[in-house]
Amino acid sequence: MKLGLVIDLDTCVGCHACAVACKEWNGQSLMAGGAPDYATQGAEPSGLWFNRVRHFEVSAVESRSNVSMDPGVGPTLKPIDIQLAAVRDIKAGGCSKTVNVPMSCMHCEDADCVTVCPTGASYKRAEDGIVLIDPDKCMGCNYCSWACPYGARELDQNEGVMRKCTLCVDRIYDQALPETERQPACVLACPTHARHFGDFDDPHSKVSILSLAREGEGMLPELGYKPVNRYLPPRAMPAIDTSSVQALSKVALKERLANTKIGQFINRMVSL
Amino acid sequence: MKPALSVVFFTVSSGAGLGLMFLLVLSRFSHLAAASSQWWAAALASGVLLTVGLVTSTLHLANPKNAWRAFSRFKTSWLSREGVLAVAIYPLAALYLWAVYQQQRSLIVGLGIILTLLCIAVLYSTAMIYACLKTIPRWNNWQTRLAFPVLGLMSGSILLLAFVPQARPFAGPMAMGMLVLGGLLKLSYVVRFARMDGQHLNINQALQPLRKQQAGQVRLLDVGHSAGTFLTNEFMFELARDRALQLRWAMWILGFILPLLLLLISASSVTVWIAALFNLIGLLCERWLFFAEAQHVVRLYHGQSSI
Repeated sequence: MKLGLVIDLDTCVGCHACAVACKEWNGQSLMAGGAPDYATQGAEPSGLWFNRVRHFEVSAVESRSNVSMDPGVGPTLKPIDIQLAAVRDIKAGGCSKTVNVPMSCMHCEDADCVTVCPTGASYKRAEDGIVLIDPDKCMGCNYCSWACPYGARELDQNEGVMRKCTLCVDRIYDQALPETERQPACVLACPTHARHFGDFDDPHSKVSILSLAREGEGMLPELGYKPVNRYLPPRAMPAIDTSSVQALSKVALKERLANTKIGQFINRMVSL
Repeated sequence: MKPALSVVFFTVSSGAGLGLMFLLVLSRFSHLAAASSQWWAAALASGVLLTVGLVTSTLHLANPKNAWRAFSRFKTSWLSREGVLAVAIYPLAALYLWAVYQQQRSLIVGLGIILTLLCIAVLYSTAMIYACLKTIPRWNNWQTRLAFPVLGLMSGSILLLAFVPQARPFAGPMAMGMLVLGGLLKLSYVVRFARMDGQHLNINQALQPLRKQQAGQVRLLDVGHSAGTFLTNEFMFELARDRALQLRWAMWILGFILPLLLLLISASSVTVWIAALFNLIGLLCERWLFFAEAQHVVRLYHGQSSI
């Protein structure tokens, strides 16, 4: 088996429900070992997340000069810059699009994080391809997190060991759960059904069919790690025709109202 | 990358120790008679440098009680290989020192060959810990592979000259040659990345699925967290421009130029010791920059447009 996720970038609304559900489940999971938070009441609350959602903008115009970015915590774009850029896009004949990108462990077929681990704490299961960490063996050297291009591994500062997505291995095989709930917490939580779980080795599975139909792609294939998770690209939708609405400008609406029978009646009453 | 001081110190210290050890053993091949007291002092120093380095390296572990397990993945992990090979040096070096003490010529040669190979293997393993990471273009190159062995031998050869002045006919040209070689290697690294930084991967490649039906530029709008995370702490280290400039000058002047000039000008013991000290300080700057200037792919998901 080659278990993994399909994430639909077209329908993801960036609500972070998957990330929160992940934290809720794995925070108490013996398999994941917990996802602690730090300084929750402090000025800079932080914490460990197995799944992080980032929000990107794809401009419709190819040739826009790249807005300078601060490589620190986030971009230094002011909201007005983003609005101005969007206005430029619309004037140039297109619309920019916001795309929300949730990222967790891709359960790579050729997982370098496992190869580089000196203690054998990181391993990839032969039976289903899930990449896991044995916290009893981890020495907290951070080396695996350096090898991961997706930022899928984070150090548990309380326990001094690395943590990561387990693909909810303690849910998907749990016979005590109804079969429909034997899925990762993030998949169950997604309100837009942008997340799907299944076996990519089975050509008839939902994930295989979806990925084939929508030309799903892995992140950063050029690094050669063969990530299993597939992202379905946003679909190009035709722009909604707004010309009829634009014709109803404020003045036009006022005139049209004045010409109706009710409008004439009101005007008469007012002028009495 | 966030420069961990323990790792910076460890690679410089054990690198110098291994380089010194390699050259001490090499110098014995042509001189199998009784070793001088200076040779013994240098041998002790190489052991101390290696040991202090290895002990320091465990300081950056978040869970050091499992450090012993790092010897278990020799087949796949360069970090494991480095650990196993470095620890294998100790019994072998002890046996070798006994052979030198007893003047067992065949053992000195036999064990000496193994010990020199082992020293190079450890230095190369250290290099490969960094050079094997495809996620960090600044490390994933031949310059990094060569830098750790060459810079280790460089600092080791100056230390040999300082400890064992009689070895000058061999150690003098070796030290100056290695300073030139190390300098050229570092120069090729600096030139390569002056040209290549920002050319390896960009945000459009990192988010390939977004590009399918959208022609335009991709950029981050919101990173999704309000304060720092493990990822920003580990990978988003920002090197201040003026600080980088100071360290670069310190690296070139203290690490390469001054030691070479000092060795060329004078052969006095004091000058050589000063050269060795400058060289080690310069290498600490070099190693700190090696980490601080390296950019991880994950930065592309945090707002940087290219690495």
